[in-house]
Amino acid sequence: MAATQNNAADSLRLEKITKVFPSHSGEGEVKAVDAVNLTIQPGEFLTLLGPSGCGKTTTLRLIAGFEMPTAGRILLDGKDITDQPPNKRDMAMVFQSYALFPHMSVFENIAYGLHLRRLSRSEIKSKVDETLGQMGLKGLGDRRPNELSGGQQQRVALARSLVMEPRVLLFDEPLSNLDAKLRIQMRSEIHRLQRRLRITSVYVTHDQIEAMALSDRIVVMNKGQIEQMGTPSEIYHTPATRFVADFIGRANFVDATVIEQAGSRLVVEVLSRRYTVPVRFDYSPGMPIVAMLRSESLTLCADESLPQVVVEQAMFLGSEVEYIVNIGGHNIVVVEQDPRGKSPIAEGQRIGIDFAAEAIHLLPA
Amino acid sequence: MLTQRRFGAGFRRILQDPVLAISLLLVVLFIFIAIVLPILAMIGVSLSEEGRALFGHYLGERAYQDIIVNTLTMGLSVATVGTVIGFLFAYVQVKVKAPFKRFMHLIALVPIISPPFAVATAIILLFGRNGMISKGIFGVRYDIYGLTGLTLALSLSLFTIAYLNFKGMLQALDPSLEEAATNLGASKWHIFRTVTVPMLLPGFAASFLLLFVEAIADLGNPLVLGGNYEVLATRVYISIIGLHDNVAAAVFSVILLVPSLTVFIIQRYWVGRTSVVSVTGKPAGTPQQITHPVVRWGLTGLVLGICALIISIYAVMFVGSVTRVFGVNNTFTLEHFDFVINGYGSDAMVDTTTFAIIATPLAGVLGMLIAFLIVRKAFAGRNIIDFGTMLGIAVPGTIIGIGYLLVFNNPITLTLPFVGDNVPAITLIPKLTGGRAVLGGALAIVIVYVIRSVPAALRSGAALLSQIDPAIEEASISLGANNAVTFRKITLPLIRPAFLAGLIYAFARSMTTISAIVFLTTPQTRIMTQQILNETEQGRYGNAFAYCVILIAIVLVAIGILYLTVGSTTGAERSLEGGA
Amino acid sequence: MKRFGLFFVVALLLLTLIPASAQEDSLTVLCTPQEDWCVAMTQAFQEKTGIETSYVRLSSGEALARIRATADNPEFSVWWGGPADAYIAAANDGLFESYESPNAELLDPRYVGADNMWYGVYVGATGFCSNVQVLEELGVDVPTSWQDLLNPALKGNVAMAHPATSGTAFTAFWTVITLEADKLEAEEAGTGYNEDGTPTQAAIDNAFAYFAELNNNILQYTRSGLASGPMAGRGEIAVSVIFSHDCVKLQVEGFEGVLVTSFPEEGTGYENGGVAIITGGPEPEAARMFLDFTLSAEGQATALQVNAFQIPTNPEAPISDLAVDLSSLTLIDYNFPAAGALRTELVERFDTEIAPAPTD
Repeated sequence: MAATQNNAADSLRLEKITKVFPSHSGEGEVKAVDAVNLTIQPGEFLTLLGPSGCGKTTTLRLIAGFEMPTAGRILLDGKDITDQPPNKRDMAMVFQSYALFPHMSVFENIAYGLHLRRLSRSEIKSKVDETLGQMGLKGLGDRRPNELSGGQQQRVALARSLVMEPRVLLFDEPLSNLDAKLRIQMRSEIHRLQRRLRITSVYVTHDQIEAMALSDRIVVMNKGQIEQMGTPSEIYHTPATRFVADFIGRANFVDATVIEQAGSRLVVEVLSRRYTVPVRFDYSPGMPIVAMLRSESLTLCADESLPQVVVEQAMFLGSEVEYIVNIGGHNIVVVEQDPRGKSPIAEGQRIGIDFAAEAIHLLPA
Repeated sequence: MLTQRRFGAGFRRILQDPVLAISLLLVVLFIFIAIVLPILAMIGVSLSEEGRALFGHYLGERAYQDIIVNTLTMGLSVATVGTVIGFLFAYVQVKVKAPFKRFMHLIALVPIISPPFAVATAIILLFGRNGMISKGIFGVRYDIYGLTGLTLALSLSLFTIAYLNFKGMLQALDPSLEEAATNLGASKWHIFRTVTVPMLLPGFAASFLLLFVEAIADLGNPLVLGGNYEVLATRVYISIIGLHDNVAAAVFSVILLVPSLTVFIIQRYWVGRTSVVSVTGKPAGTPQQITHPVVRWGLTGLVLGICALIISIYAVMFVGSVTRVFGVNNTFTLEHFDFVINGYGSDAMVDTTTFAIIATPLAGVLGMLIAFLIVRKAFAGRNIIDFGTMLGIAVPGTIIGIGYLLVFNNPITLTLPFVGDNVPAITLIPKLTGGRAVLGGALAIVIVYVIRSVPAALRSGAALLSQIDPAIEEASISLGANNAVTFRKITLPLIRPAFLAGLIYAFARSMTTISAIVFLTTPQTRIMTQQILNETEQGRYGNAFAYCVILIAIVLVAIGILYLTVGSTTGAERSLEGGA
Repeated sequence: MKRFGLFFVVALLLLTLIPASAQEDSLTVLCTPQEDWCVAMTQAFQEKTGIETSYVRLSSGEALARIRATADNPEFSVWWGGPADAYIAAANDGLFESYESPNAELLDPRYVGADNMWYGVYVGATGFCSNVQVLEELGVDVPTSWQDLLNPALKGNVAMAHPATSGTAFTAFWTVITLEADKLEAEEAGTGYNEDGTPTQAAIDNAFAYFAELNNNILQYTRSGLASGPMAGRGEIAVSVIFSHDCVKLQVEGFEGVLVTSFPEEGTGYENGGVAIITGGPEPEAARMFLDFTLSAEGQATALQVNAFQIPTNPEAPISDLAVDLSSLTLIDYNFPAAGALRTELVERFDTEIAPAPTD
């Protein structure tokens, strides 16, 4: 413990944080966050990712101080801030609904926190103007929030937090109210800003693409617990659990039979062909396992020596074609990228399926 | 350990913020001392040995059973008629293509500012034995005293509650439902029967129950119009004013409290939760209006007829205030105004208005504060605070008055133990009621004004607050504001419409309330409604009308001032409507 | 000098301790006559003495109940107006302080209460106040006897106050008791009155029987004695049982030609309006001054300003031409002490037996 206290470089640290709510029926309780340990490095962009109800938003609100943990503690620079009220924490939050103050102008919205810090009028003016410029909101200072477009409102919300230069920036699904095109645009804008300013950020989303695009590290949560923590690439290519694999990207799970164990590798039979594959979890003999195959790692080609599948459905999606094929009663999704010049395989056709050994990722069943 | 922290978490958070903790403590203390304690004291007295004997006596005797039956019959009849009138006004307003809608709407709002007794007295002059309409036009010596008169007077005074309720519901009713029914080939009447009415059933139940509670609590109308039709509220009043029998009054009060509170609880916690109307905020299309000539003109005519009735009642009041004896000697005179202004009337005007001016902002801010605490701060016991506050209006005014007499007629002191007899006891609460009360009883009256007005402010505040995204307040906190600053700079401006409504209601209610303060006035404090009661009881209607006219003028001026000051829009309400 | 300094300090201290009202530059009167007379009387007193005088108006039964209820800590120092029965009841309960007024010697001894506990300030007779138009419509003659009020044609057309709250009504009530006692006594001596001069139980029961029957014709028992008068004036009812002077006042103040006064020929009661000092009141000195004033010719003359047509008890006070001539009436022998003593008991019985009973 003494080590953590001195380790200022930790930035933000959650120790066995637990949050229990009374259930809606009144009887019993719901564990929204269950003994979560988490360390966020200074300047890091960390995303809490998971389906709704997984506890990611509660975790964020615990960090912000809007909720009080039932157990555990939160440290900022080694200092225990568990009992500190949210307004005393050097953090700023960007809300899903933007939460702009409707009765204030854009300028007043952004200046709000600076006023509370008792900055001089001229200081506030210069800081707000600078932020307005930075966020591409020049000239909109006198507008009311309801006179702005959704994207502009989102920028104001972001500006309002950024102008505070907080130690930690918290994002609660800030892009989910925007239409698809705007979302992508704002995503890259947040990415650019964060990389430039290097403000420690915790970002909550259920959108895996957004998470991968923005994050230094992703924490996948499920049922109040952390399923896996890692860089986007680790999470994508070597998911630790079937849940993570399923939640991120398009994954097919195929039965795998262990033939023999060779050190940290296993010889497995997948779709009646043998492969030697590294195993990344504690394997003990006799344990049932599955092979995860990403849809884009699979190819279909007319080769009789390959395992044969029947094309059930073919959907042309522009940049790719998605096939649902059937083998031995199982459905597998196969994605063919950049389908230019090829005519899609007809539904009902028998065809061979192929993939490299590297495409196989073994998981406990 | 785990559970302990969970329960403690909400409070721990509140305790971290001293302003929040202190305001919560003050709110709880205020509710307990000003609302709960008097009611408990009254119940306590009724359960004394003497009181228990009286219960047996009153419940066992035919004459008193009749009083109870009278009270309930009156409640049911007013609730039925008032709900129907309210629905009629709302239906014509929203669903029928009718002329003069703005006018009908204004007329429906008029009863909010009507002083007590004005309607009852005017009804006697219009429909009584020698009434202008009953006798003058139809030539019948109609006996308006009793249930008929009470139903008429109370329905016309209370239907506004039902009207506003139904109007809101009908406007929120998704027109696509009715459109869907029309698509399926249903006739207008069929839609009304099978779609509109069932959707509004909770509204009917809520209006009915609310009117029932208000009706059985009313004191002014039965005093004037009751005849020999006695009800519990007047019994309570006579027991105190006429006989000074606190125990009998407490026993009658408890007998009255049982139906009031039962119905209130049913309304609030059962009917209040089964609303089927989905307020989406974005009605999908404009409601279709009824153009069928028979329905259209039939309903419109009916509503206009009731409007004419209400107008004639107020006309009687205005004309009556400047005629010698209205209906008997119609000479123009200003003697009633002269009497009011040069008698105790001017004292009463100044006192009443001053008290109302003090009580109004207190009630408004307190209502918003409690709404904020209840809606926004998760802590154990907030439902109790909500209920305790609502008791202020759920309990009939006479009962509040008696409770105050019982609790505050002597100073509440604390004698410190172990310090000997020579140290005087510490006065916690000074004597608030009766002769030689602190500030001549003004404090008690102001407090009663506040507790009678807070519930409405709380409800409108809570309703608006729950429509406002809590993230807006969290954003403020996240930016470094504490709860107090957030409440002042963010919450209060956002719930300004509710705040304004709360203030207007508080002022109008304070100026027109009688039942709760009738036992609290002292020689030093003169209250206009009390003076109106005196004049009415002695049959000097001219003086009473003059008081009423002045009272209405004061309320209208105050509403105007409130609109100009508080109502000056900062765009908050527009922004909310615009959906930022 | 030193001593004087100490005295001065103590006096100053005492002054600050005594509540403001005890300095007696103000007075609150418990007032029972009509509101306008309360205003006129207190204003006249204030002008004469400079003592700031306000009043609270309560009907006599209410006033009595209020004095009783606040006996531990009285709010008022003096009570003026309202029939003497209530004053006697209060004096019997020890609620009044004896005071020998210098103005008392002018009064007829009838108007001086036992032990100078109270004084009479005016006299008035119980009468019927009828609306001639309504009577004509109903085909009923102006009532001239108590029996006339029982005419079924008057169903719901008679009003009076409740004897529990109103002295007016109690006076009428006692009048009927006395008449019933007289009737019994005429049939057989000793059946109407007990040896101490109080009416017998049989007489009282007969009176209750009368009121039970009258109840069928009563529209409403008002709280204030005066209230049924304007009801008659507006034609809401045909007959009101009130003091005749209140009826005359109404005739002068707008109901001329509508209302007529009549008296029961078998005998009518009268009130002796009182004034008394309340024990332990906050302003005893000012209260005595006020009492003196109400007995003076000057004080009693205020009645004329406000059309109060009671007969003043001070022979030097002016009498209105419209005041009733008592010698022209058959007056009962109103036993004020007995009425005062039995008041509480009778009123309670009336309250439970008559008032809440539904009219059938």
